[in-house]
Amino acid sequence: MRPIGFSTGALAYSNFREGLRMLGQTEVQAVELSALRQGELYPLLQAIHSLDLSRFDYISIHVPSQFEAGWESVMWRLIVGGVPGGWPIVLHPDAIGDFGLWRELGASVCVENMDKRKPVGRSVGELARIFEELPDATLCFDIGHARQFDPTMTEAWLILREFGSKLRQVHVSEVNTRSKHDCLSYASILAFQEVAHLIPESVPLILETPVLEGDMGAEIYKVREALPINRTTMAA
Amino acid sequence: MSEGRHYNGQTMVEVSKDPVTALEKRLGTEWMHLRKAREVSAAKRQEIARLAVGLDSEDTSIVVSGSLARDEFTNGSDIDWSLLIDGSADPKHYDLLRKIGSVIDTLAAKSPGPEGTFGKMVFSHGLIHEIGGEDDTNLNTTRRLLLLLESRAVGRDVAHNKVVRGILDRYLLEDRGFWRGSGHRVPRFLQNDFARYWRTMTVDFAYKLRNRGGKEWAIRNIKLRMSRKLLYISGLLACYRCHLDYDEIERARVYGDAGMRFEVIKRLQSIFRATPLEIVSGVLLRYPHLDASATKVLGAYDGFVGILSDSQQRKRLEDLKEDEADDDETYQKARSLSHDFRDGLLEVFFDEKSGMCNLTRNYGVF
Repeated sequence: MRPIGFSTGALAYSNFREGLRMLGQTEVQAVELSALRQGELYPLLQAIHSLDLSRFDYISIHVPSQFEAGWESVMWRLIVGGVPGGWPIVLHPDAIGDFGLWRELGASVCVENMDKRKPVGRSVGELARIFEELPDATLCFDIGHARQFDPTMTEAWLILREFGSKLRQVHVSEVNTRSKHDCLSYASILAFQEVAHLIPESVPLILETPVLEGDMGAEIYKVREALPINRTTMAA
Repeated sequence: MSEGRHYNGQTMVEVSKDPVTALEKRLGTEWMHLRKAREVSAAKRQEIARLAVGLDSEDTSIVVSGSLARDEFTNGSDIDWSLLIDGSADPKHYDLLRKIGSVIDTLAAKSPGPEGTFGKMVFSHGLIHEIGGEDDTNLNTTRRLLLLLESRAVGRDVAHNKVVRGILDRYLLEDRGFWRGSGHRVPRFLQNDFARYWRTMTVDFAYKLRNRGGKEWAIRNIKLRMSRKLLYISGLLACYRCHLDYDEIERARVYGDAGMRFEVIKRLQSIFRATPLEIVSGVLLRYPHLDASATKVLGAYDGFVGILSDSQQRKRLEDLKEDEADDDETYQKARSLSHDFRDGLLEVFFDEKSGMCNLTRNYGVF
């Protein structure tokens, strides 16, 4: 069974404690701690050692994608000093100004493919340029972004085929035309099934679908339906 | 049952949440067939929503039209539905359409009509951009105006609301006379399209008869006289309400301020959230001197819905041949109801005291 979990941001925005509390009601094995805005990173890093994360087999951290000019190096220092070793650091490619900084973090940097609004990191070609700069970085494959960019799922297939060996985690949600995360619809489930076999069973699925506490179980069920495991699943 | 109390400038107009029931109460009568149809419609829509949960999204709405949207659903009614898409083209939409169709088929007495208007994908761009001109086909006009006059999203309504809003933006913001004039504030661009659609329906009645060898002549005839006409008059009244809902001072203020335009459009959108019968009843509630006419209009309509909800009478109308109509009790009863309906409407639309006559002369005739 694929490891599965939620982004705390999807459950409770910047309130990671509330997100973790909600996850306590489920039997998920993975979590992504979310600090999407500049002001959210420091409080999260300050709190990390006081959080009970022992139940999770997989923990990643999503670092800010929006910040003031010049803050990138500050963020980098905070991350280096505060993120436990081995945790994947999920990073938006359009947030990178100085590739040299992130190159130093090697495989810990987990680059996410982007939605169609962004100027970089959307397609296999655009990701290739990022990975040329960050050759050891891994991939956070956002399947919702990939579908929004190309509903035929051709680009998703190309990304997974080209960078499957870098795949560290998968973001799962439906991304609508306003580029907002949404719960999975029937059409997105069908689309995701088309590339499910390219995602190895061991890769954690992180749900970014905004759900109420009582609906978490149902959404997990839908995600399992969208990304089933079958014998033809390709090893990365 | 969509509107509550709303502020009408210096005059507060109470708009009943359930104008049909409010009117029924005031007239001291009982429209049992309408009541029953409302209950059946709500239950059926709820059933569809339950079975179709997760099939729609923010960019797609499952939209029902026809009697189910009008709260006039009876056991013999078909379910007119479409998948409204306001987002990126996606090959999976076809699979989605088939899935929704398979869900709705389990609940429908019969399939949507053969014209191909329903049970299909409908894209927002054509509805919003192609108003008038060569590209505005009969099908596109029908879909667009039914979306305004008799449609409801079953489940998620974001796409539905956005598209309706987009259509109303086109009709109202591009109507120069509506904003710049100094007299009546009736959106003529929109009203003309309602009139065009009504006349299209009447012409297509003849076309369909010819095309189908006279099949279902009687029921189509009665529906044209009743439910199709109701659609038109509800559209006409919704347009009139852009004028009637304000007193003179407030009208000058609202229409004199460009910043209020979006408020006016939003308000019209809220009017269209009501069913056609609710729009008609809401207007009639304002004019107690028209109670006798209201009794004729709504009473006749209740009788019409009663005939359609009776499987034997409905079947009789579906099977009746034109040359048998003169002696057929069911048809003659339905025809008589349609005359009451027409007479009541003529009294309302040509009433001097309410100001409706003036509006009808100016907008409903030429």
